[in-house]
Amino acid sequence: MSAKRWSANRAVWTQNLRQISWIAIIHWLLWMAAIVLPIALAYSQYDPKVGNVPQWENVYHISNRFETLIAWLVPILAAAGVLRYMHDKRSADFIHSLPIRRTELLTSQIVFGWLMVAVPLLLTALVAIGCLAGLDLPWPINAADVWRWFGETVTVETVIFAFSIAVGVLVGQSVIHVVLTNILLVFPAGILVLIYTNLSLLLPGFPNDYYLSIDVERLVIPLRYEMLGYRSMEAGEAGGMLLLALLLFGFAIWLYERRPTETAGQAMAFPAFRPLFVYGVAVCSWLLGGFYFGGVESEASWLLFGYLAFSLLGYAIACMVIAKTWRIFRRWKGYVGFVAIMAAALWLIHLDIFGYGQRVPELSEIQQVYFGQSTTNFRHSELIGRSFEEYDQFLRTKDNMKAVRAFHQQLVHDKPRPSRFEQTQPVVIGYVLKDGTRLLRRYDVPVEPYMDHFRRIMESKEYKQQYCILLRPSGYSPIRQVTLRNISTGNTVLVLADPKEIESFIAALKQDLWNEPVKAMLGGGREAQGEIELLQSDGDMFSTAFTTDHTHVRQWLEQRNVWHKIKQ
Amino acid sequence: MIQLADVTKTFDRFPAVNGATMTVPKGAIYGLLGPNGAGKTTLLKLMAGILRQDRGTITVDGDEVWENIEVKRRILFLPDFVYFFPQATIQQMADFYEQVYPSFSRQRFTELRAAFSLDVNKKIHQFSKGMQRQAAFWLAFSVRPDVLIMDEPLDGLDVFVRRHVKQLLIDEVVEREMTVVISSHNLRELEDLCSMVGLMAGGVVQLERDLDELRAGVHKLQLAFRDGFPDELAERLEIVHREVRGSIVILVVRGEKRRVEETVRAFHPLIFDVLSLSLEEIFMYEMGGAAHVCETVVG
Repeated sequence: MSAKRWSANRAVWTQNLRQISWIAIIHWLLWMAAIVLPIALAYSQYDPKVGNVPQWENVYHISNRFETLIAWLVPILAAAGVLRYMHDKRSADFIHSLPIRRTELLTSQIVFGWLMVAVPLLLTALVAIGCLAGLDLPWPINAADVWRWFGETVTVETVIFAFSIAVGVLVGQSVIHVVLTNILLVFPAGILVLIYTNLSLLLPGFPNDYYLSIDVERLVIPLRYEMLGYRSMEAGEAGGMLLLALLLFGFAIWLYERRPTETAGQAMAFPAFRPLFVYGVAVCSWLLGGFYFGGVESEASWLLFGYLAFSLLGYAIACMVIAKTWRIFRRWKGYVGFVAIMAAALWLIHLDIFGYGQRVPELSEIQQVYFGQSTTNFRHSELIGRSFEEYDQFLRTKDNMKAVRAFHQQLVHDKPRPSRFEQTQPVVIGYVLKDGTRLLRRYDVPVEPYMDHFRRIMESKEYKQQYCILLRPSGYSPIRQVTLRNISTGNTVLVLADPKEIESFIAALKQDLWNEPVKAMLGGGREAQGEIELLQSDGDMFSTAFTTDHTHVRQWLEQRNVWHKIKQ
Repeated sequence: MIQLADVTKTFDRFPAVNGATMTVPKGAIYGLLGPNGAGKTTLLKLMAGILRQDRGTITVDGDEVWENIEVKRRILFLPDFVYFFPQATIQQMADFYEQVYPSFSRQRFTELRAAFSLDVNKKIHQFSKGMQRQAAFWLAFSVRPDVLIMDEPLDGLDVFVRRHVKQLLIDEVVEREMTVVISSHNLRELEDLCSMVGLMAGGVVQLERDLDELRAGVHKLQLAFRDGFPDELAERLEIVHREVRGSIVILVVRGEKRRVEETVRAFHPLIFDVLSLSLEEIFMYEMGGAAHVCETVVG
C-alpha cells in the first residue's frame, strides 16, 4: 500500500476513533464488570477463617448469563458502528465520493471493528490474570482458565461480528441491521423447530422432538457461548468458526463491491433481496402461526386461522419495512399468490405422497420393535433401564412385535387427535429392521379407547420384566434393608433388615408387580397407600409406592400386624 | 476532459438518468440546467463516482471514474446538502481532507481563512446553513481539485458571499484550469459564471452549448425600412422571433453576425441596430425544441 493510500485509511481511522471508539470502551467496562469485578469482590469478602472462596469451575461461572449477553450484543453493536457510514444517506454519498477503494474501505472498517472486539477482551484477560496472581487467595481458577476463556470468547465474538458485518452490507438501515442480525442468529434453530413442529401437525406420527433433540442450540452461536461453561470448544470447532468468520468477511467485501450506494436508508440494499425478505418473513410467520395454534388447539379450523392470520401479519409487516410506510394495501396480490403456493405445499404434504404416515413395516422385516413414551431413548438405548419404572423398551418376542405393529396399524388408520379433556399418552413406536434401517413414529393417543392395545403389550411378560426394576433379571443388587413409610405423615412404620424377612417381602411385592394391571401402569386409578424404600448392597436406594392393587403386600403386612399403622 | 456516453441509471425501475451524453472540456465552467426531477443530481453523483451507472461510460481524461482512485483524487463533489462528520470542526475536517486528498494545500487553507472568517475550532453543526456551505467551499477550494462538481451550490448564500464565491471559482479556473460542473434549476444564477451550459430534462442532456458560440449565433436586430419590411429579407434570414412595434421591427435571427449584417444592409434599412441578448433570451429563442424546459429554467 502506497503512503498516499495509507494516509487515506489513517484519516478514516482517526474519524472512527472520534466517532465510535466508545464502543470499545463500553465493551471493556462490561467485561471488567463481568469478570474482574467479581474477582475483586471475592477478595475483599474473603475471610480466612471461613475460607469462602467462590466455587468457580471456570471463567464462565463468574457471571454466566451476563457474559453471554456481552458476547452476543457488543459485536453486533461494533459492526453497526463501523458500517454506520453506509446506512446514512448523506454520509454514504460523502464517503463514497472520496478517493478510497471500496475493498480497502470496508477492510479497514472490519479491522477497526474487530480491534474494538478483541482489544478490550485482551485487556480484560490481562487484568484478570494480574488480579488472580496478585491477590493472594486460593483461587479455583488460574491463568490457563482465563486464556481459554479469552480464546473462546474472541472466537465467538469474531464470528458474531463477521456475521453482523455481512448482514450490514445487505441492509440499508442501522436499525434493521441490528434487528435482522439478531433474528438471523437464532434463525437456524428457530426454523428447524418451526418446520418440525408443523410437519408433526400435518403428518400424523411425525416424531418432531426426536429430530429436535439433536443439539439445535449448537446452531445458535450465542447459545453455544452459554454452553461453554460445561462444554469447552475443541480446536476443530474453533477453527471452523474462524474459517466461517473469514468467509463471511470475504462475502461481505464481495457484496460491498456490488452494493448500490443509493440504497442507504432503505431496508434492503439489494433489490433482489426484497422479495426474499418479504416472503421469508411470511413463511416464518406462517409456520409460527401453526406452531402456536397447533400447540394450544388441535382443531383444524383454528390451525388454518393461525396460518392465515400470522402469515398475513408477517407479510404486511415485511412490506411495511420495505416500503417504509404502513399504507401497503395495494400489495395484496403478492399475498394471495403466497397463500396459494403455501396451501398447495401444505396439501401436498398432507396428501403424504411418499406414504410417510402409512408406512408400517412387514412383520418379516422387523428385527425388534421399540415401544414407549420418549423418542430420545430410541437413539440412546443405553439410557434405558435406569429408573424404577421404564416405559421405553426394545421388544423382541414375536407376540410383542405383532402387538406393537397392530397398534401402529390402528393408529395409522385412526389418526387420533385427542382433545384436551381426555387422558392422553404419548405413544412412540420404533422399528429396527433386519436391513438395519430404523423407523420412528410418535402419536398422542387417548388412553381409554386404546386400552386393549396398551394391555396386550404392557402386560406381556417381556415388557413387564423390563418395565420394573425389581422384575429385571440382575436389575438390582441384593436388598439390604426395606423401609416402609406412612404416605401422608412420612413416618417410618417398619424397617426390615433380616434377610429372610426381606426376601419374603420382596417376593410378595414382585407378585403384585407381575399382576399390576395396565391401567395402573399408565397412572390411572392408582391410589398410593404407603411408601417403600429399598436399600441395595451397593448403597443405591430407590423407592416406590404401593397401592390398592398391591394385594400380596397388604396381606404380608396384615400377617405381621402393621397394616393398620400404614393405613393411618 | 469529462466524457459521459449513453449513461443510464435506474432507481427501482425509474430511469433517473436515461442515456445521457455529455462533454465537459478542460477549464470550462459547465452549467447543468434543468427543472426539478430532471436527473441533475443523479448525473453529478455518477460523475463523482458515488453511484455506478447501469449502462454507458463515464470517463475523466479517458479513465473510468468508478472505483478509480487516481481519478477520484482529482475530483471533489459538493452536494446540495453538505455533509460533515458529526461533531467535527473545520480544523478536523481540514485534517481529514488533507490526509485523503494529496492535492490539499495547507497554505491555501490558511490564505482562505480571511475570506471566509469562520471559527475553525467551532463545531460545524453549530453553524447556520449558509455558514456550513461556506465552510464546505473553504474546504473544497483548499483541496484544489482538478474537477469540482457542485450540486445547486449557491442556494442559501447571501448576495455578498455568493459574489465572493463566484469570484474565487473563476480565479481557480483561470489560474489552474480547474474544470467546474455546476447544476442549477435557475439560469440567472449561472449567467455570469458559465462558459458552457447543458440542458437536462427527462434524464437526458437535451443540448449542450458553448455560451460564446451561442451568443455569436443568435442576434437581436432592430430594423425599420422605408417601404415596410421586405418579404424577401424575411426569406433570406433565419428568423426565430419577430415583433412589430409601430414602424420598427424587432427580429431575433440565427447566423453569423457578419453574414446577417451584410444581408440586412443589402436592403438599405433606415434603422439597423444589433442589440445584445441576455442568456435568458438566447435560451428562449434558440432552444425551440426544448422550449417547455427553458421556461422552467428561465422562469
